[in-house]
Amino acid sequence: MDCHDCHKSCQPKPQNSVWKLLGFGSKKSAKSNFSRHSHTTIALVGSPNVGKSLLFNLLTGTYVTVSNYPGTTVEVAQGNRIIAGEKVTFFDTPGMYSLIPITEEEKVARDLIMNETLDLVIHVVDAKHLGRMLNLTLQLIEAELPVLLVVNMMDEAKKLGIWIDENQLANKLGIPVVTMAAAQKVGLKKLIAKVADYVQSTLLCVTY
Amino acid sequence: MSNQLFYVSPIEAAITRIESLLDDTHNPISRRSIALLLLQKDPILSSQLKQEPYFPEIERIIAHTQEYFSESLSLAIAQSRHQLAMAIEQDVIIQPQEQRTFQYEWLHKLTVHPVSGIPILVLVLYFGVYQFVGVFGGGTLVDIIEGFFESEINPVVNSIVAIIFPWQVMQDLFANDYGIFTLGIRYAVAIVLPVVTTFFLMFSLLEDSGYLPRLSLLADRLFKTIGLSGRSIIPLILGLGCGTMATLVTRTLESKRERIIATLLLALTIPCSAQLGVILALLSVEPTALFVWATVMVTIFLGIGFLAGKILPGKAGCFYIEIPPLRLPRLQAILTKTYVRLKWYFAEILPLFIFASVLIWAGKLTGLFDVLIRGLEPVMLWLGLPKEAAPTFLYGFFRRDYGAAGMFELHSSGILAGQQLVVAAVTLTLFIPCIAQLQFMLKERGVKNTIAITSFVVLFAFSLGYILNQLLTIMEVGF
Repeated sequence: MDCHDCHKSCQPKPQNSVWKLLGFGSKKSAKSNFSRHSHTTIALVGSPNVGKSLLFNLLTGTYVTVSNYPGTTVEVAQGNRIIAGEKVTFFDTPGMYSLIPITEEEKVARDLIMNETLDLVIHVVDAKHLGRMLNLTLQLIEAELPVLLVVNMMDEAKKLGIWIDENQLANKLGIPVVTMAAAQKVGLKKLIAKVADYVQSTLLCVTY
Repeated sequence: MSNQLFYVSPIEAAITRIESLLDDTHNPISRRSIALLLLQKDPILSSQLKQEPYFPEIERIIAHTQEYFSESLSLAIAQSRHQLAMAIEQDVIIQPQEQRTFQYEWLHKLTVHPVSGIPILVLVLYFGVYQFVGVFGGGTLVDIIEGFFESEINPVVNSIVAIIFPWQVMQDLFANDYGIFTLGIRYAVAIVLPVVTTFFLMFSLLEDSGYLPRLSLLADRLFKTIGLSGRSIIPLILGLGCGTMATLVTRTLESKRERIIATLLLALTIPCSAQLGVILALLSVEPTALFVWATVMVTIFLGIGFLAGKILPGKAGCFYIEIPPLRLPRLQAILTKTYVRLKWYFAEILPLFIFASVLIWAGKLTGLFDVLIRGLEPVMLWLGLPKEAAPTFLYGFFRRDYGAAGMFELHSSGILAGQQLVVAAVTLTLFIPCIAQLQFMLKERGVKNTIAITSFVVLFAFSLGYILNQLLTIMEVGF
């Protein structure tokens, strides 16, 4: 049974036993072997140096190192926040350019996406390089993952004279889009409200 | 689905055929996506599905589809995606063209152009590392805190412990020469803390400004000669903070070969911040000594890197790195980051330092410590060092920073001086990665590589110490 405004993740989650046998998640299991979640799980993914870790800090209050160079995050970090009365677990991931990893830390991010059943994948992109970064968004949509696009660094884009039509982008992609300037905490409330929609729709599905 | 990306027809046909082959496992990602990954010859997925009965059929489909294209399938797929992404960008972006340059473009050019970039690097190293971390952190601050410990805290601890425990054995566990409070905690708080704090502060500032990726652009050509790409400068510089952290960050490097070279250089030549601070502070009194140490380290770094690049199979990785804009670091962010790193660092070292004190105490009690020390003593004499230096090397294996603190102590009590100080500094810098770094090497590089690297490092450190001592004696370099 499919309900119209919730994601496939609300159906009972089967153990991916076949994939486990095939070797998914067996290696580097320290990172990908998270306990089974009964609550909402959300991963922050995207190219290196787009502000995933900063956003993670804002969302969860758990501090992970933030720097101005690609490759600061090399492992998955985990933190929680109560949203819409539900405990939501966020994962901060190392940067990745595409679903096919080049370096090892990109593989860490991919492993998370491929092996964990996530309720929402927040793809964080840099507003200054939107076109280049949409490649990954398209791949995530192709994978039929529930994606929310965060267009970050709007402040820097504005300084370069770049404006982005949030609604138009959401229409084109068919997924929710939030524009942000995470360093200034601009757009954070909007993002949390959108996440709350997901949490509530997940809850509705559970009560079916 | 309205937002579905369609590829050119041969690829779409291949996707459909592969999709129908895949069995209905409950994957987090769609079968379409898996089919596309397979068409792009994703190595991980291919090796996972290799055993499946339908895999040869998939391979046939891929080969068949490839016939339609002159370029690789990955490229064809990427192009379709890229076109759509660009088309979407065009539709949603409103941008007056002329403004599209970064605010600090001139500064960016200054940092990456060799003529101006190298002097900037020298300034950063001189003021940021030498003056701030070495002279101020490792010198001034250490002297103040260390002096305070020696004159105010240690005597009090000694007398209190003497009152509580009437037995000498128990007194020695907590106080006196090797006690938990008088040695372990004093080393951590008085010697390591100031150095590491100043280093992390400086490093956070560099990180947040966006200087590091520019430095890797600058260093790329030099690094190519040692089999690395500019990208690897980030783990190597992180190694100046803590080799353990840096070994983990070698993950960001592209090839296995690069990761091994970087791990080796981290284990061998890169001193951690505590070592660096103490060595800079001790040697800053004698410029020739500092010069000799620095020259030796740089030469070894380049020499070993060059050789490793020659010996290890494979080519130097191609260099790509995202260059973020230069940003004015925010004070709050820097302080938070420094604080978090310090907290992490101290949670790591304090128990170990205390444990070291206990171990030394137990070792002394059982006589095992003396046996080890006596075993090391000939090595010390061989290096032209006083035999009192043996414990320092033993600690150095335990924790690099612990060894550095030990060296500081030897110097301040007048045991190590002049040529010996240089030899000790060089040997200790080269010497074994500490236990924590060893653990991470095991985790990231595997047993075989770790054993190879470690045994090479130990042998090399002592041989080089010996050669250096001989050379300095023959050349009659006075310090």
